[in-house]
Amino acid sequence: MANIAKKVSWSGKNDETRGERTPLLNGSEEVRYNRQLSGGPIFHIGRLSTVDLEEDIATEEDPVRSRPKEIPHNEKLLSLKYESLDYDNSENQLFLEEERRMSHMGFRCLEISRWVICGLIGVFTGLIACFIDIVVEKLAGVKYSVVKKNIEMFTEVGGLSISLLLWVVLNSAFVMVGAIIVTCFEPIAAGSGIPQIKCYLNGVKVPRVVRLKTLVVKVCGVICSVAGGLAVGKEGPMIHSGAVVAAGVSQGRSTSLKKDFKIFEYFRRDTEKRDFVSAGAAAGVSAAFGAPVGGVLFSLEEGASFWNQMLTWRIFFASMISTFTLNLVLSVYHNKTTELSSPGLINFGTFDLECVQYSLYEIPLFICMGAIGGLLGALFNLLNYWLTIFRIRYVHRPCLQVMEAMMVAAVTASVSFAMIYLSNDCKPLKMDNSEEYPLQLFCADGEYNAMATTFFNTPERSVRSLFHNPRGTYNLLTLGFFTLTYFFLACWTYGLMVSAGVFIPSLLIGAAWGRLFGVLLPNKTFIKPIWADPGKYALMGAAAQLGGIVRMTLSLTVILVEATGNVTYGFPIMLVLMTAKIVGDYFIEGLYDIHIKLQSVPFLHWEAPATSHWLTAREVMSSPVTCFNQLEKVGTIMDFLSNTATNHNGFPVIVQASGEQSGKLCGLILRSQLIVLLKHKVFVERAHSRLHQRKLQLKDFRDAYPRFPPIQSIHVSQDERECMMDLSEFMNPTPYTVPQETSLPRVFKLFRALGLRHLVVVDDVNKVVGLVTRKDLARYHMGKHGLEELHLAQM
Amino acid sequence: MGVFVNYACLFRLLLWANALTFITAVNIASDATELSGDRALNRPSSFISVPHAFQPDSFRQFLTLGLSDAFPEDMEGTENCLELLSIFGQRYVTLANCLVSYARPVKVCQNCYTDYNNFENIYKNISSDQSGPGNVSCQDSLLWSDRLMLLPSLYSGLRDIWESAACTNCLTAYQMNLSNETLNFLAKLNQSLICFDKYQQGNHSELCKKCKTAYKQLDELYSKMEGNKTLCIDIEDAMNMTRQLWSKNCSSPRKEMVPVIAVSSFMLFLPIIFYLSNYLHSEQKKRKLIHPKRAKSSHSLMNIQDKFS
Repeated sequence: MANIAKKVSWSGKNDETRGERTPLLNGSEEVRYNRQLSGGPIFHIGRLSTVDLEEDIATEEDPVRSRPKEIPHNEKLLSLKYESLDYDNSENQLFLEEERRMSHMGFRCLEISRWVICGLIGVFTGLIACFIDIVVEKLAGVKYSVVKKNIEMFTEVGGLSISLLLWVVLNSAFVMVGAIIVTCFEPIAAGSGIPQIKCYLNGVKVPRVVRLKTLVVKVCGVICSVAGGLAVGKEGPMIHSGAVVAAGVSQGRSTSLKKDFKIFEYFRRDTEKRDFVSAGAAAGVSAAFGAPVGGVLFSLEEGASFWNQMLTWRIFFASMISTFTLNLVLSVYHNKTTELSSPGLINFGTFDLECVQYSLYEIPLFICMGAIGGLLGALFNLLNYWLTIFRIRYVHRPCLQVMEAMMVAAVTASVSFAMIYLSNDCKPLKMDNSEEYPLQLFCADGEYNAMATTFFNTPERSVRSLFHNPRGTYNLLTLGFFTLTYFFLACWTYGLMVSAGVFIPSLLIGAAWGRLFGVLLPNKTFIKPIWADPGKYALMGAAAQLGGIVRMTLSLTVILVEATGNVTYGFPIMLVLMTAKIVGDYFIEGLYDIHIKLQSVPFLHWEAPATSHWLTAREVMSSPVTCFNQLEKVGTIMDFLSNTATNHNGFPVIVQASGEQSGKLCGLILRSQLIVLLKHKVFVERAHSRLHQRKLQLKDFRDAYPRFPPIQSIHVSQDERECMMDLSEFMNPTPYTVPQETSLPRVFKLFRALGLRHLVVVDDVNKVVGLVTRKDLARYHMGKHGLEELHLAQM
Repeated sequence: MGVFVNYACLFRLLLWANALTFITAVNIASDATELSGDRALNRPSSFISVPHAFQPDSFRQFLTLGLSDAFPEDMEGTENCLELLSIFGQRYVTLANCLVSYARPVKVCQNCYTDYNNFENIYKNISSDQSGPGNVSCQDSLLWSDRLMLLPSLYSGLRDIWESAACTNCLTAYQMNLSNETLNFLAKLNQSLICFDKYQQGNHSELCKKCKTAYKQLDELYSKMEGNKTLCIDIEDAMNMTRQLWSKNCSSPRKEMVPVIAVSSFMLFLPIIFYLSNYLHSEQKKRKLIHPKRAKSSHSLMNIQDKFS
């Protein structure tokens, strides 16, 4: 009932405002002036087309509402720096012409080149993975052998605190390099990159996320941070790297290097690029874990609204090529050319046939472990959430960020050292020992320190030894202390300004407590120890912990199954991940979602928030809207575009019928298109004066993509300002529209399923009433007290 | 045994019909000499002789009887093969004896390599393709003719033991002798052990001081051999025992608890200072809120919440 009452009152008010020229309208004076000149009656034009609002910016002229209010950063904000991708194709006349010109053969070639690109994406992603792997191995090898030698030297004669300092300094030095390149050159390369790629696949244009520079910084950064001994993995960054490779390869040029190979020009638009980026992300996953199917499913899970069968198949192709390339190059590197035995960066190793079985009795235990994983994951996320807010608010200067990263590295090293030093857990060395850097320290000759195998090692190797070392390799205290320390270290590390992933640390924490669980089990119960293989429980613990932290479901199950090469465990892993997600979601969201929120990204989830059906497009939309006439004066366009307070991107184009008072919607034109038009000076007068002027083609738009010049770089003389521009040829003549009464979930569905950027709201006579953009939708979310609205903020 | 194979071929060509008994006689003779030679040369401590049941002659008779009862027509071919079988049996027993007697402390490589060589030779003989007189290949009749396949599994059992012991690493080519490196190691080991024995009764610290050089040399040699991959089970085991002996007496104590803990806790203290000073001195990052323009300005967050409350 409230709803109806509201609507009535609204329409009443509407009439009122129309009559008295409305204090609500907050267009600039200049705009109104222009409008008047262009001849429309004042009121209605005022209503329809005074300044406004695509990306929702308040104008300074409004005295009441735009007094900038400042609040500390929190998660209930939407940043203005993020824009949408133009996934929807603009079917303007140029496009139709090009399509007409293109032969049947041309389309075939396009299809083939899509496959070629996917192959290239796979190859390059695989090569990058190899590069990271080999360099990390080398650097870490050098570091550990230097420290090891030093420790051995000082064990007997005394002076181990010097070894400790050496370790600290080496770690900090590596991490310093990594942090400096990230903070100074490309801050977007910090973190795992998965939240950013998730946003990109969701349709948000994250600035600079798929540039070559980002890739270089990411790769170098991850090498430094893993070699620097932080509690991080190199798998998350691999996914980002794959995405950047895809975005680069598919364009056939590099804007950063100013090199254009003149190939794949057709793919220079957001629609195609985004498809390739999803292939790249899949290739990244597949290179990281040796899990091609998992990679495809990851892309499906994260960016799935725009999929079709052929695209899936192509993405699978890219994934396979990527894992094969990695495999081939690494096997050549390890001098086992024909073996092809290292399909992923992380190799969990295969489980022995005897212990792959699980019995029915174990299923409740696994579910129990899933619940523990969910709880621990929620705790991890909560701590990291507080820490991240603190970081955003207080630790925002680059020098502080570098210092913080170095400090974490130093503390990681010293805590590890203290743990190893104080540990009494000695195990005999074996011939076929998988430990690469066994530390003896105070153990008897021929024995090694078991604590050192977990701390004094790259995290991947530690995971593998937790999975596969036979029962009795670690004692309970070692595992317990390790879990505890590593949990806090990993939680502290994620969110630093270094590029590093959270997959491996989570797996490691989970594997440690899972193994602890498995070791405790036969002690405390009367269960036959035959099937209580600690490695199996380590795997389940790892799955539970990772699931509790990142809350991925389908893709994570498949990734783990593929990475262990063991289909038998599919069912328990699925159960564990499900439980972990259910338990974790009860407390807090997944880590990636938290970080997306904290970055204030307008992210559209699968569904509109529940209980939002009573919201209609009229309430959601931005209004009034800046519109252009089909035949518009250059000066007007220039003024709109260069108004710094508004960085609107889409402008409805209206046509003024002679009898009508205001224009009807006839198309939609984008800022980028207008800029290209202005740059080429496609004015009606010039077309008359210079007959030989080349006709603008779609290629001109593509050449400017993706970095369209800013409006400030375009100069229009005073004379030219008086010229007219005919937009009819370039605008999208059939934009999607909805009536005012459409409910929010309906609008949401259109956005999510079609990948829209602008949705025009029209009244019953096709006049523009408002415009819905991503930010208008993303601001609604379910909070603790029902539906909440996020604030927009400048940052 | 290659000689034997050649002889067999020759004789088979020349004396097709009536040479059978002669050949077997030669075989037995040659084997007998070999066996006795082995024993005399390489088994200083053979404490069990071959049991009577496995004496070649009785064994053969026993088998021939059993088989000839069932398949009298196969007599000619099997005669030769049975001979091989019995030799196999003897050598198997000899080798097993040797392995067991040197199981603890492990000295199998040093003492059993000749036995192993002999054992391997006879198996190779059996499994070689060349068929004996009567055009019957012993490979088929002895190795693969039944489900049990006893000989191959016996052979592979011992071979696996030999391989996992990695004895070849300590032997010269063709496993003819102990390698120089091994001998060198054994000599060094002896030195250390003698030293340990000497100071065993006295003060342990004295042992640690006096035997340190010998032990360190041994340890270095071992590490070097480990790098070269010239370790076999004998050496590993001996080294392990020595190390245990050494560590029991002379292990380095934790001397630097205080400095290590101090440095670590200093490191742990750093972040607290860092974050605290940031909290107090760094200016908090504020975000400028922007009010979106809506068609209906009054409709805001508060309205939504009103509706729900």
